[in-house]
Amino acid sequence: MLQLIAVHLLAALAAPALVSRFGRRMFLPLALVPGSAAIWALTRLGDVLAGEVPVQSVSWVDSLDMHLTFRLDVLAWLMVLLVGGIGALVMIYCAWYFATGAKFLGRFAGIFIGFAGAMLGLVTTDNTLALYTFWELTTVFSYLLIGHYFTRKGARRAGMQAIIVTTFGGLAMFAGFLILGAMPGGSFSLSELVREPPAGTAATVAIVCILVGALTKSALVPFHFWLPGAMAAPTPVSAYLHAAAMVKAGVYLVARLAPGFAEMDTWRWIILITGSATMLIGGYRSLKQHDLKLLLAFGTVSQLGFLILLVGQPNQAVALAGLALIGAHAMFKAALFLTVGVIDASAGTRDLRQLSGLGRNLRGAAIPGFLATFSMVGLPPFAGYVGKEAVLEALTHDGGAYESALLAVVVVGSVLTFAYGMRFLWGAFARKPGVADAQLDREPPGLFVPGFVLAILGLGAGLLPGLGEGLFERYAATYPAGEPGHLTLWGGIGPALALTVVIVAVGLGLFAARGLVERAQDAVILGPDADRGYRTLMRRLDRAAVAVTSATQRGSLPGYLGIILVVTVVSAAIALGSSGVQIGQVRLFDSPAQLLVAGIIVIGAILTAQARRRLKAVVLLGVTGYGVVVLFALHGAPDLALTQALVETIALVVFILVLRRLPAYFSNRPLKSSRWWRAALGALVGVLAMALALIVPAARVADPISVLFPTEAYEYGYGKNIVNVTLVDIRAWDTMGEIAVLLVAATGVASLVFARTRTRTGRVERMRDRRSGDAQVWPSELEDPASRLRPAQGTATAPRRARSWLTGPGALAPNRRSVIFEVATRLLFHTMLVFALFLLFSGHNAPGGGFVAGLIVGIALTVRYLAGGRYELGEAAPILPGALLGTGLFLSAGAGAVPLFFGGVVLQSVKIDVDLGILGEMHLVTSLFFDIGVFLVVVGLMLDVLRTLGAEIDRQGEATGTASPDIAHDSPRSSPDDSRPLVDAGGEH
Amino acid sequence: MTWLVALPVVIPLVAAGLALALAKHSRVQGVISVVALTAVLIVAVALIFVTHTVGPQVVNVGGWAAPVGIAVVTDRLSALMLVVSAVVLLGVLLYSLAQGLADGPKGAPVAIYHPTYLVLAAGVAMAFTSGDLFNLYVGFEILLAASFVLLTLGGTGERIRAGAIYVVVSLLSSLLFLISIALLYGATGTLNLAQLADRIDALDPGLQTVLQIMLLMGFAIKAAIFPLSAWLPDSYPTAPAPVTAVFAGLLTKVGVYAIIRTQTLLFTDGTLDTVLMVAALLTMLVGIAGAVAQEDIKRLLSFTLVSHIGFMIFGISLASDVGLSAAIFYVAHHITVQTALFLVSGLIERRGGTTSLVRLGSLAKVAPALGVVFFVSAMNLAGIPPMSGFLGKAGLLQAGLEDGTPLALVGVAVGLATSLLTLYAVVKAWNKAFWQEAPAPLPEASVPRGMFGPTAVLAAVGVVIALVAGPLYSYTDAAARDLRLQDPYISSVLVDDGRGEGQSADAQGGDS
Repeated sequence: MLQLIAVHLLAALAAPALVSRFGRRMFLPLALVPGSAAIWALTRLGDVLAGEVPVQSVSWVDSLDMHLTFRLDVLAWLMVLLVGGIGALVMIYCAWYFATGAKFLGRFAGIFIGFAGAMLGLVTTDNTLALYTFWELTTVFSYLLIGHYFTRKGARRAGMQAIIVTTFGGLAMFAGFLILGAMPGGSFSLSELVREPPAGTAATVAIVCILVGALTKSALVPFHFWLPGAMAAPTPVSAYLHAAAMVKAGVYLVARLAPGFAEMDTWRWIILITGSATMLIGGYRSLKQHDLKLLLAFGTVSQLGFLILLVGQPNQAVALAGLALIGAHAMFKAALFLTVGVIDASAGTRDLRQLSGLGRNLRGAAIPGFLATFSMVGLPPFAGYVGKEAVLEALTHDGGAYESALLAVVVVGSVLTFAYGMRFLWGAFARKPGVADAQLDREPPGLFVPGFVLAILGLGAGLLPGLGEGLFERYAATYPAGEPGHLTLWGGIGPALALTVVIVAVGLGLFAARGLVERAQDAVILGPDADRGYRTLMRRLDRAAVAVTSATQRGSLPGYLGIILVVTVVSAAIALGSSGVQIGQVRLFDSPAQLLVAGIIVIGAILTAQARRRLKAVVLLGVTGYGVVVLFALHGAPDLALTQALVETIALVVFILVLRRLPAYFSNRPLKSSRWWRAALGALVGVLAMALALIVPAARVADPISVLFPTEAYEYGYGKNIVNVTLVDIRAWDTMGEIAVLLVAATGVASLVFARTRTRTGRVERMRDRRSGDAQVWPSELEDPASRLRPAQGTATAPRRARSWLTGPGALAPNRRSVIFEVATRLLFHTMLVFALFLLFSGHNAPGGGFVAGLIVGIALTVRYLAGGRYELGEAAPILPGALLGTGLFLSAGAGAVPLFFGGVVLQSVKIDVDLGILGEMHLVTSLFFDIGVFLVVVGLMLDVLRTLGAEIDRQGEATGTASPDIAHDSPRSSPDDSRPLVDAGGEH
Repeated sequence: MTWLVALPVVIPLVAAGLALALAKHSRVQGVISVVALTAVLIVAVALIFVTHTVGPQVVNVGGWAAPVGIAVVTDRLSALMLVVSAVVLLGVLLYSLAQGLADGPKGAPVAIYHPTYLVLAAGVAMAFTSGDLFNLYVGFEILLAASFVLLTLGGTGERIRAGAIYVVVSLLSSLLFLISIALLYGATGTLNLAQLADRIDALDPGLQTVLQIMLLMGFAIKAAIFPLSAWLPDSYPTAPAPVTAVFAGLLTKVGVYAIIRTQTLLFTDGTLDTVLMVAALLTMLVGIAGAVAQEDIKRLLSFTLVSHIGFMIFGISLASDVGLSAAIFYVAHHITVQTALFLVSGLIERRGGTTSLVRLGSLAKVAPALGVVFFVSAMNLAGIPPMSGFLGKAGLLQAGLEDGTPLALVGVAVGLATSLLTLYAVVKAWNKAFWQEAPAPLPEASVPRGMFGPTAVLAAVGVVIALVAGPLYSYTDAAARDLRLQDPYISSVLVDDGRGEGQSADAQGGDS
């Protein structure tokens, strides 16, 4: 069976290409695919009759008890025959139904075959989860097929409705299967479930869930509304999916489970109520339809209710009749849909008010139409009659209150069926007074064949009732109650026959009074309209979704941060409150100086938060930072203090470089009320952090690993400076990551700044590239107080390079130059470089290391830039920062990987002693190479920052004529008052 | 085979340095990136086999025995995460390369795209393989820094605004994480995860809960768990399609991974399981409500992303082998499907000129292949069988039923409802983008094959996972069992009387 499904899958994948290439005729060979399933089923007829059930099992996901288990018992055999046989016939029909040039036929064919394959799996699998899998696949394929004419709004909407409603049921059923599988005594095997049905509340809940699935799929009340909507699909789809195959899935499932669960009270009442309501409402509604397809659709709804009502009973005789009717219904309803398709194609309409005279003029449609309708309304000797007689016979036999109610419903439902059957025949084929005979196109004979075949099969099955009985009695015998029933054409004169006569008579009466019935239906509105209910529900859902989203998704960053902090504070406070932890012994300070510094830090932090001027905030922030430096120093951590001091310095420089392009004041002040709660929240977070910091050390349970560091750093890391050994060796893995962070941050900032001009891949700007017409660097509005002392521009003699301290400042606006600064720079720069190199190499044993060294080079470069502007920077470092960054990371990470090639561990370091002759011996630890990488990355970072936030911003400002404002002192335009900031007039960049 | 363990981090970093140094040669950069990520993928696949057959693989970096040094650990969970992330990273890289080729020099990614992307890959790998809490933080920092850059590529106003939200929220989450690390070190004196697992048990239970909350806050923001999730739909959709794809697929899952790791290794008493489960259910519902309300395909997908994080957290909060196994399976599924969908949305934007569902249409006619890829992925996301989303969900629901507590049963119901609403949201998107007539004529554009290929492959992974679901589930079962037993992890890291393998411990022995 798995092979058959695989064939379907392959054919489905190949079909689009085949049909697009060879056109609609390809449907004929493709019909062999579903046909093969039917043929295979026929070859197994002997086994099935003998009660031998072929089984095939392939394991899929054992952990979830999902297995591809298949078995072909009688019920499965019947369904395979229907699914395969009708599938093949409908595909043959398709070969003529669609216009030659119709679009998307390839896709249609693929989905159609895929559907047939899924259906095949659905009816043969024994594993509930596999069944759900196939079940959902049919839903999805059905959605795509309903939406075949997707440019029509109606088709899209109907498709959506179908998939949502049936998936709703499908998921309920899935839950039911899972409950049945997980509960004690439960199983994921259908046959085991039926053999030993679990009981109890959980089982009842599960059964209700599963029935919801079956009811939605088979379009029972209250989920019936999707099926008439699904008639937006092409007619072959309606015939196959929405009459013969897919909607039968629910019936199949009920029939499958009934032998185990049909005596459960909940089951019986659900089946009785929904089945009855569906049978009656469907029949009643179809009496009023004018569209033949809708008439049949409501008829299908009615019949599905009828079928579920039958196969859901515990009674063997009723079940036997139900099985027979499943087959009969598939044949006659498919035939009728195909006939409507022919009429539609030929007359161009399906409206029974416009059709006239087709009985005479379109014999090819009329004959199967009549035959199939007779089977539907239950006239002898058709299959429908045999089934219905057996039902009446069984129900008149044993008569409890339940059975009597059932009988009444069946009789009334059959009356309605008879009436709408007649209405269909009359509507489709009669010659109506006052309506001209419809103009008919000639249709190819192939279009008529499948309907004929199905209608005649219905007749044939009716003529051989014994064959059906012989087949189905085996499955009916698994039902728990009642006596075996019989299928026969002539059951003798009795109550059943009498009821048939009554049905025919009243049905004819209803048909005769059809005008009256229609008017009555228009006047009386029966209960709520399920379709409208669905739409209201979905509208409310959409509205609720919008409401929820607008409540949670405010788009405000302070709001998001507030939520995060509130959640943190509240949850941590609750946990702290409910725990018994205490604040341990607190030593207030080691030296009074700490207290003083702490006070400064606190004041700095508060003032920072209050500052309205950006520059003020930055400087105050620096105060807190340098305060921390002092704290580190007081604690005896020179390395940390050094590093922190450098970082603070550089951060200050970077901030100020950026501030040149930002408005002097922070933008609009938040409202007073929100200021208060923000301040309160901030204070709370601070209090929480402090409380935790006080609590946690008191709760320490073990010695920190730091006690191991000094010995190991020296013995194994060969260094006395633990901080440096930690950075470049012990935790080199972290450092390697962090320099990657630096690299990315530097290049990221650069790409943003350069994005505006896209001159990124440019060169370094050097003095020699400067042309005489270029604007001055750092122009100023202020008058140059020293201008009188200078010789006039242009009168200067040829440049005397040897006599200038720095070359870059030549490009500066004259009043920006400072000779003292230039001289000092000239003297300091190389000293700083040498010092940096010293720190880099000595870092292993003394304070220093690559990071600090890099920062010092960075400061040296900063000094050059500040003294001489951007050309001076280019002169100082005529290299692109990307190259430094990239090389640095390559070196660090690469150095880490080298030991791997020698069988070592990543980032392992080795001590190498090199004898340098008279210079003495050098102790080289290979982690130095790693440290050099770090150094390069830091230098690259600094260069990048200066180049982008310094030089490039200068350049852009000069190019646009908006030179950087002076931020060191108040510009005459700006207000000195903090409380009245300037309106943000500058751009956001 | 322990030498493999460090490679997923080292290879991309070396390549990133090289790519940046060669910034002027964009073609060479492309080759470097592809080679590096392919190598990572191969290593990761090898690691899966090694960890599955031999056990967790540990490297004590530089020979520094844990807990003094950093242990890099790959167990089954890490190895699976590495493989999935490598597949996704490589696929997205190929997609963006093809985009660059298709758009000519102007559309070529800026020179820093490749280095940054490789650094992101290294950060993700570092986080997945870290055996040390601080190192995990470093991993987070790397991928965050890289993501800041990638999110604001090009520097348009919209991206900068979205980036501001993302950067500030991420920094806050990092800050919380860092505070938690300090507190944990303060309380236990170690940051090695294996040693922490030992020492945390000795702490006061109340304090344990506080520490757990602080740690979870940082991770939950990254993983986008309600009510800490609102930043995500506001920031992700504005980035270029490949970037959003990789963010959506991977970055949130790093948070989920961290939660799995800490919940199974450090905080095992289950105090917060109920809270976590409630948060998971709210995440599912609020997230999917957002998706239903969207009119833009990228925002819609961002909300489904948030919603389905809830599924994984639900599985974790069940604190059972089955629940955890299904959650891991779901993570693997969700990384691939969400990435594929965002790549598709990039192609949709290319073909249709917009991602607004109001203005899109007719794509089923003009781009049927794109339709197939979108439909398959969307159905996979909605959990339609037999694809990976269904299998993950089935496992989670089974675990929920097995748990049997009322809250877990509510969780099952919420999970089912979320599936239905996901289906509703994606079908709505399909109806509008693919089926309805486009309100205005679509621009003349085509979908380059080089971009379609990786998208289709990633979409097909969902189907492939379904085919190999049996072995994959037994793998995640074993991974979950190991995680909950703890011992395989702890005993592979601390092999020698509380110390890891490495020579530094010997050095000390010689000294004393």
